[in-house]
Amino acid sequence: MKLMQFVTVVLLSSMLSMAACTKKTASNEKVLNLVVTAKVKGMDPIFSDDRYSNNEVARVYEGLLEYHYTKRPYTLVPNLAEAMPEVSKDGLTYTFKIKQGVMFHDDKAFQGGKGRELVAEDFVYSIKRLADPKLQSTGWWLLDGKIKGLNEWRDANQKKETVDYTQTVEGLQALDKYTLKFVLKKNFPQFLYALAMPFTFAVAKEAVDFYAKEFLNHPVGTGPFVLPKFEQSNKIVYTKNPTFRNKLYPSEGSEDLKAKGFLTDAGKKLPLIDKIEVTILEEDQPRWLNFLKGNLDYIAIPKDNFSSALTPSKSLSQDLLDKGIQLLIEPSLDITYIAFNHENPLFQNIKLRRAMALAYDVNKSNELFYNGTGLAAQSIVPPGIAGYKSDFVSPWRGPDLEKAKQLLAEAGYPNGKSLPEITYDCPSSTVSRQMGEHFKSQMEQIGVRVKVVQNPWPDLQKKIKTKTVMTHGIAWGADYPDAENFLQLLYGPNKSPGSNGANFDNAEFNKLFEQAAIMQDTPERTALYEKLNLMASDLAPMIYGVHRQAYVLTQGWLKNFIPTDFEAGQAQYLNIDMDKKNELAKKF
Amino acid sequence: MNIYVYIMRRLLYVIPVLLGVCLLIFVLFNLVSPDPTIMLLGKHANAKQMAELRHELGLDRSYFTQYLDIVKSAFTFDFGRSWSTKQEIIEMIKNGSGPSLTVTFPAFIISTILSLVISLFVAFYRGKWLDKSTVLVCVAMMSVPSLAYILFGQKILAYDFGLFEISGYDHGFPNFIPYVALPCLIWVALSIGPDVRFYRTVILDEVYMDYVRTARSKGLSEKVILFKHVLKNAMIPIITWVVIQIPFLILGALLLESFFGIPGLGGITLNAINSADFPVVRAMTILSAVAYIIFSVITDVLYTLVDPRVRLR
Repeated sequence: MKLMQFVTVVLLSSMLSMAACTKKTASNEKVLNLVVTAKVKGMDPIFSDDRYSNNEVARVYEGLLEYHYTKRPYTLVPNLAEAMPEVSKDGLTYTFKIKQGVMFHDDKAFQGGKGRELVAEDFVYSIKRLADPKLQSTGWWLLDGKIKGLNEWRDANQKKETVDYTQTVEGLQALDKYTLKFVLKKNFPQFLYALAMPFTFAVAKEAVDFYAKEFLNHPVGTGPFVLPKFEQSNKIVYTKNPTFRNKLYPSEGSEDLKAKGFLTDAGKKLPLIDKIEVTILEEDQPRWLNFLKGNLDYIAIPKDNFSSALTPSKSLSQDLLDKGIQLLIEPSLDITYIAFNHENPLFQNIKLRRAMALAYDVNKSNELFYNGTGLAAQSIVPPGIAGYKSDFVSPWRGPDLEKAKQLLAEAGYPNGKSLPEITYDCPSSTVSRQMGEHFKSQMEQIGVRVKVVQNPWPDLQKKIKTKTVMTHGIAWGADYPDAENFLQLLYGPNKSPGSNGANFDNAEFNKLFEQAAIMQDTPERTALYEKLNLMASDLAPMIYGVHRQAYVLTQGWLKNFIPTDFEAGQAQYLNIDMDKKNELAKKF
Repeated sequence: MNIYVYIMRRLLYVIPVLLGVCLLIFVLFNLVSPDPTIMLLGKHANAKQMAELRHELGLDRSYFTQYLDIVKSAFTFDFGRSWSTKQEIIEMIKNGSGPSLTVTFPAFIISTILSLVISLFVAFYRGKWLDKSTVLVCVAMMSVPSLAYILFGQKILAYDFGLFEISGYDHGFPNFIPYVALPCLIWVALSIGPDVRFYRTVILDEVYMDYVRTARSKGLSEKVILFKHVLKNAMIPIITWVVIQIPFLILGALLLESFFGIPGLGGITLNAINSADFPVVRAMTILSAVAYIIFSVITDVLYTLVDPRVRLR
């Protein structure tokens, strides 16, 4: 008995004393505490294909352009470019002057360990890396077939032992130390967006050569923060770049953002904080608890914590208000949808597609899966970009069971009779399964039988790419703020294995899309986008779900946080009110 | 047979076993699994780039060459780089195994000792209310899902009472201790139920043997009988149970790592499976197989140490 007691006491006390070793450090350093919800792959810009790697890469590296931090709708402005480019009349040649005196981070890859000045040739090299056939960048799609001579350079180097970076590419040249010229094969108005994406950010050849295969763990950029070595761990710690150029917080912005006080740091030198600590936490509960303890500066409200964070009218709960926490709501540039496989003859029947769309109660699914925070999608283009019409209500937006039943009968399947069972493929998570069951129950109301098939993510992707699904549930987030990025999901030539997983192929839609895709941003293009968006509703190629909205909570001491779809580079604009932090800390 | 000869002979079995494991991996990954290029290239993948990537990854080479590559990596432990993260796999394993072990190893030692002590204790009081209530508690503990322990521990013990860190990890001793204390405690709570039931059964099997009755009739005390005779004779199944768990400690505890933000091997393996990162999954499978073989040899050798009647052949 004594032995038992002794062992128990020793074990429990050792555990508690282990726990008591918790150390807290107090400092006046402005440390931004962030959380990401998935592992960060690495720090090589050409492989930053998910939002997590994308954001991390953009703390260290920079590109020619960026989105204006305090303007909406999203507006491109120069970053490493001195000004917006000169564009030739035919829209094919873009000439950039790059900023002088921009320095790469100090690193042992450079002679004497001192970072050298960024030059135009660095962009030529960086974009060739993106096209390097041996590296197989996951961002190559962005410039594939766009720059004159770049595909030829890629193909010519495909079979070579080593890739020849000295070989000139006609459409990608440094005219002098600070002048960069791009020549496009055909009009590609979205090209400038590509230059704001981390795939095209500037890397130094010396660093790539010095670190070779370990380059992805040794980021050496020109950006506002420095990370000496990246380790795949649960925490990434960046410090302020001491040699960062004189980049200032914007002095102008959209009226609503001005009114909300987002210009109080106007004219201050960036970055405004000393350090960033990024914690990787894949589960909702620890993220939520850490935020409530004040260990994180902002967080998207986890799905299961909505009821405790918000009142039924979607305003902040008193508990959180007392802690000085703020709520920010921003529509996201995305869409959720259930895609029909149009290569299946069944779904070439437009009446069947419309009937199923009408049977689907999007408001119910919005309540069930998004806590009622999403916006019911009327078509494919989300609000916030040209092509979206706020007053448009789709005639095929459910629920309208009577009309759905009538259309189903007209389609040749009265009450679902003689209609084969339709499979719905989804990922293997619990929520995906629930979404599938919801879809199934909705379709049952008109007599359409649905079988939910769950798949591990790689298997689902394979099925979509090999066109072996009947219907599948998925979402799309914007790569850049242009309706083209959404409409291309229905463009025939993009069929699987391309991004058009619905395999929709409509000659008129394709023709109009091709016209719009090469037009500069003009009212004519907007009209064409709107027309395409109406077609994307009328032809019911998919059952549209919702455009999700970001519900973000920020601590009272965090300044300048504006929810955005393009977070790359955001951290440099954020600030921490240390007095307020010390004051509010007592409430945690 | 000399113990060293036996160990050498058993270790040589690693060769055919590994060849078999390699074949299994090859069949699973190359013939059954989906095309990894779909996952690696993401939402903008197209047929041309998929074909190019297949070429760069060597997936268009003959099946035999690809099989030989797996065999080579199994015997040299040169697993190459992850397709998804581009990191060197052996470094990923080195970096991940430390944090995993800082949770699983102390928790394993504590839970094993604690369970053995409890088992001996309840065996001593076999059939009494203490024994029955302990079994009841064990069954109740086993019936609670592991996720419930984690959610409860994190919310109540860490957040509400502030006894532990909510999550996180710091490398190096003793920095990691505050972060692994709660996961260790949860592991112990999760293990005690099944462990106590198993050890108790094993010990009770021995308690009713003739030699125990003989010992009692000779007047030996219950303590001596339990610790000196019963425990020693029960060691064979206990050793099997304990040692065979050790290889899996290295692989980490997936849920615990995920909830507590511990950068261990559990998460690495799961991410690799989800992103069709075959080289990483392959490396983890090979390492598990090797570890399993090595620890089964250790188990056999330990048998001879605790029971001289066992002979190595």
